[in-house]
Amino acid sequence: MEVDMIFKIAAIGIIVAILNQLLIRSGREEQALLTTIAGLIVALMMIITQISDLFSTIKTTFGL
Amino acid sequence: MNIVSICALAIVSSVLSIALKRHNQELSILISIGAAIIILLSVIEYILSSIDSVSSILAKANINSAYVTILLKVMGICFLTEFTCDYTKEAGLVALSGNIALAGKIIILITSLPMFSEVLNIVVKLSGGELSD
Repeated sequence: MEVDMIFKIAAIGIIVAILNQLLIRSGREEQALLTTIAGLIVALMMIITQISDLFSTIKTTFGL
Repeated sequence: MNIVSICALAIVSSVLSIALKRHNQELSILISIGAAIIILLSVIEYILSSIDSVSSILAKANINSAYVTILLKVMGICFLTEFTCDYTKEAGLVALSGNIALAGKIIILITSLPMFSEVLNIVVKLSGGELSD
């Protein structure tokens, strides 16, 4: 199963948090916001493929 | 994936999600959704086998197979709306989760309408047919 997906997302979160602080301290607030949004998009794309798998499995199992 | 690994996964992902909550809330809820998806995907295989056995038993008891499909559909709708309601509520959007629950109930009502008419017919037949007109 894709257990490592959770750890990937956690890693993305931690890296984005650190980059955010780094960029804010060095005065580049906009780039901090951009990295946060980029991290969010990457994690969201990974989760969306999982969600579509789950929903298609449910659709086929229950005949929805 | 037995229950032990499911519980371990749940604990680890909850700790990770809380760890990330302070810095960015979006990723913390994404982690909890990802963990739920993995758990549900591993559990769904058991549902599949139980559905086959239940439908074969019902076929033996010569119950109309249309009811089995309706029953399965309603179970699927409940499964999905429950999952979405819980996660919208956890994200803090209580009104949205209430709306989703309402929509799920309405859809279930509509899909199970043919069963109601069937039950009414049975009741009318049982009561000797005086109430039919």
